[in-house]
Amino acid sequence: MNPIDIFGNVINNLNDSGHHKAARRVLEIGWGAMGIKMKHFPDKRLIPADRYLAPMMMDVMMKPLIEPQNSAVVSIFTACELLEEVGLNPYNAEAFSSYISASHAEREMLDIMDSDGISETFCSYHKIFAGAAVAKLMPAPRCIVHTNLICDANLVSFRRMQQVFQVPLFYIDVPIRQDESSVAYVERQLRELKTFLEEVTGKKIDDDALSERVARSKRTLNNYQRFQELRADRQILTDLVSPLYCAMSNNILLGTEQEEKYTQMLLEDVVAAPPKKGKHIYWMHALPYWSDSVYSLLAFNESAQIVGNEIGQTCSADFETDNPYRGMAQRMVYNSLNGTGSRRIDIGIKHAKDAGSDGVVWFNHWGCKHTIGISQLAKKRFEEAGIPCLILDGDACDRSHGGEGQTSTRLSAFLEMIGAI
Amino acid sequence: MQCSIQCPTYYVCKYTPVELLSAMGADCQTLNDMPDNFDLAEQYCGPNICGFGKSVLEKVLTGQVHELILVDCCDVMRSVYDVIAATGKVDFLYITDMLHCYKSCAKDMLVDELKRLISAYGEYKGTSFSIEKFYDAFHEKHETSLPHIEVLGARMGTQLFDMVKDTMGIEVVNETCVNNRRVGNVIPPADMGMDELLQWYAGEIFAQTPCMRMADPTGRRRLYEDPNLRGIIYHTVKFCDFYSFEYAQIKDSVDVPILKIESDYTTQSTGQLKTRLEAFNESLGFEEQPGSADNREIQMTRGYVAGIDSGSTSTDVVILDKDLNIAAKTIIPTGAGAAISADKALDMALEGTGLTREDIDATVTTGYGRAAIEIGDKSVTEISCHARGAHFLDPSIRTVIDIGGQDSKVISLDEDGNVTNFAMNDKCAAGTGRFFEMMANTMQVSLDEFATMGLSHKEDITISNTCSVFAESEVVSLIAQNKAANDIVYGLDKAVATRTLGLVNRVGGTPNYMMTGGVAKNTSLVRVLEDKLNSKLVISEHAQLCGAIGAALYAREMVS
Repeated sequence: MNPIDIFGNVINNLNDSGHHKAARRVLEIGWGAMGIKMKHFPDKRLIPADRYLAPMMMDVMMKPLIEPQNSAVVSIFTACELLEEVGLNPYNAEAFSSYISASHAEREMLDIMDSDGISETFCSYHKIFAGAAVAKLMPAPRCIVHTNLICDANLVSFRRMQQVFQVPLFYIDVPIRQDESSVAYVERQLRELKTFLEEVTGKKIDDDALSERVARSKRTLNNYQRFQELRADRQILTDLVSPLYCAMSNNILLGTEQEEKYTQMLLEDVVAAPPKKGKHIYWMHALPYWSDSVYSLLAFNESAQIVGNEIGQTCSADFETDNPYRGMAQRMVYNSLNGTGSRRIDIGIKHAKDAGSDGVVWFNHWGCKHTIGISQLAKKRFEEAGIPCLILDGDACDRSHGGEGQTSTRLSAFLEMIGAI
Repeated sequence: MQCSIQCPTYYVCKYTPVELLSAMGADCQTLNDMPDNFDLAEQYCGPNICGFGKSVLEKVLTGQVHELILVDCCDVMRSVYDVIAATGKVDFLYITDMLHCYKSCAKDMLVDELKRLISAYGEYKGTSFSIEKFYDAFHEKHETSLPHIEVLGARMGTQLFDMVKDTMGIEVVNETCVNNRRVGNVIPPADMGMDELLQWYAGEIFAQTPCMRMADPTGRRRLYEDPNLRGIIYHTVKFCDFYSFEYAQIKDSVDVPILKIESDYTTQSTGQLKTRLEAFNESLGFEEQPGSADNREIQMTRGYVAGIDSGSTSTDVVILDKDLNIAAKTIIPTGAGAAISADKALDMALEGTGLTREDIDATVTTGYGRAAIEIGDKSVTEISCHARGAHFLDPSIRTVIDIGGQDSKVISLDEDGNVTNFAMNDKCAAGTGRFFEMMANTMQVSLDEFATMGLSHKEDITISNTCSVFAESEVVSLIAQNKAANDIVYGLDKAVATRTLGLVNRVGGTPNYMMTGGVAKNTSLVRVLEDKLNSKLVISEHAQLCGAIGAALYAREMVS
């Protein structure tokens, strides 16, 4: 048994026997040690920005364990600037579940939910997240803030968590139509969220400070967009987790100084990067960071590199900052995953082209019905736009839905087809 | 292009403004048919989305739909909208933006949406909103005040609901999805202006019993707190996840018996669902319709009764004498035909006993093939029969774990051997004898070897999936990693035991446990399962005959 298996077993055994605090403490020690390693002994093959990003994300995951009373459970596309203003650390299903899975402690969480009668086809990110709450591995947060953006799982898993934690919950309803009335509807709710958070924490939100924070979000997103365009003719090698970290941080950490610094570093790194060599692969939807097959074909590979992930680019920088509530509402309503699937595909094509992509992987994450449902349409549309597209079935978080052999064959054949091998 | 003939305007969701569309001249009908397969749909959207979404697509692709109003009910419906739009096969396609909650300005938002629909449909159809037609479209819905069973959960298609109605001995009300649309019960107040009328109408749409995609579904409580409710058939559709959460929440708290069934929204697999429905009906005590053929009394002659269990793998026969001793028994492979095997097994059981068929006063059949067997006086589901059989073999048993060739089930029973709850695996080989056969085949070992290999494991490998497709690829990966065969088998045993434990928990199983079915011979699995249950499993020497014994006991009840 490898050390991570042992680590996961220790956590699960402690948790099973009712020692939830001890299980969390082991998790905290393990993650803390990993954070120290990431900070002081980073993988030197990564660009400096990505070396900075890894421990930053680890900190985000540690905070709910260390100070749950100052943390809030959120769905990934919740505008989190308001939470940051009242000192609440946001953490989301996708990130937390990935870390649990990386710690090999996910099986118990999945089994608990299966045993409860939750369907096998439910998204593994949300299943592990809610399972960790039910299993009491996750401590109770101060509150829960979530939206329907942009998957059905958001509508059920957070309700379940509230039943477990018995903490205040705020829900932001986002219509699917991109127009002024939708923005006004969301803006009104964000103003209500301000009141909710002030009541929950007893702290006051200063609208000027919020404006500055939202302006920082805008600068951050502009930086990132600029970076993506500049990388089109550069070669930047990466592992599989850095695009995922970015997918998390470019959503829940928008408005923070760390995230802005990360994007500033990216702009410095891209200038120093060597010219493009090998094929650029843009990744749609979640990335199976745990897959050895994907790692061996795309991580630190001069012949083919991942140059962007859809989830890291869902927010456009085109929003107001004078009225921060309206700005955040615009960002949510115009999220690239909101609305029709055609809109999502069009934005994906644009982002893939911006990054000089030679191919796209459309990852059908098990349980994501929207992604799976439009996958054939997406393939057709990407190819019509001149970008070869591979539909890859799998699970970004639950290894048991893996099928490594198939993944390897499909991805290898695709890379051969576009001349990357 | 407008449909040249008067064609229905199909809709799928209860939040569809049906009365408004009627006021525009539309003939609104729900899409509720279950297709036989998704041959066309899966070419466009892949297999792993909910069957209802695929059924809508299938109907469109076969050219049966010209006007379709969707609602952004869920991720699948949003996908289906895009896929249909790309085919260009529907003359009028519209998706309604339905908010998830009734917040302050939600009603205004819905009114705007209604106006957009009036405009879009009017432009397509060349019609305008008729107040008279709008008022005419409101019809009060019949609400039963009689004792009844409700079908709750995810949308149930017409064919399956018809089977439910035919099976249950009591009125059944379909409260799933579009079927519990309640708009129309209140007639609009007179003399309202258009804006005021639409405001009122938007309020009526929101005021319906919420579905699970709404942010606050607490209004659904009225569905399971009805004083006339006698039972719930809780339906889920494969790849629709909303309702498993409601089921998890209410399964232990409702005051009436609840049965969970899952369909893939095709007409296939009705056999397994029918068994569950019949068993549920039996457990509710509705099966004994006075004067029915199944309820007739038979005069005792020699006092022998027979039970025939026609399973997917074997056909088992037990003959009991008048003192309930086993006078004869046999187990043969089912082979190609259930009826032929049943005949043959009965003859083989009688062989050498000096008995003939005429000596048997009553025969009850059970198992998958029971409907196809002509011999027999009555047919009872294998669930009731296993419970009765287990109680006969050991009256202390409160939970039966039966893992057979094609399905696995857990039955909880009371001190008299009556079924109080049960759960079965869903439509796949997961956690069944067939699963073990497939895995043994993958590992190229015999089933007998497979049954004990896990006992000698050294490494604690976790195989997390009992889906035969996923598990097979996990096993292949482990073989490639040179993992020991014994350890892999142990991993598979653990996976099946975990799944079985989930079924035990679902029915609230308590000791003592009995294991029946062919998989009871798998010593390695039995050991793991005992560890998980923290209790010994009683495995009777007659474990494989449990269903047939139960059937014979039912036959005995028919004889006076």
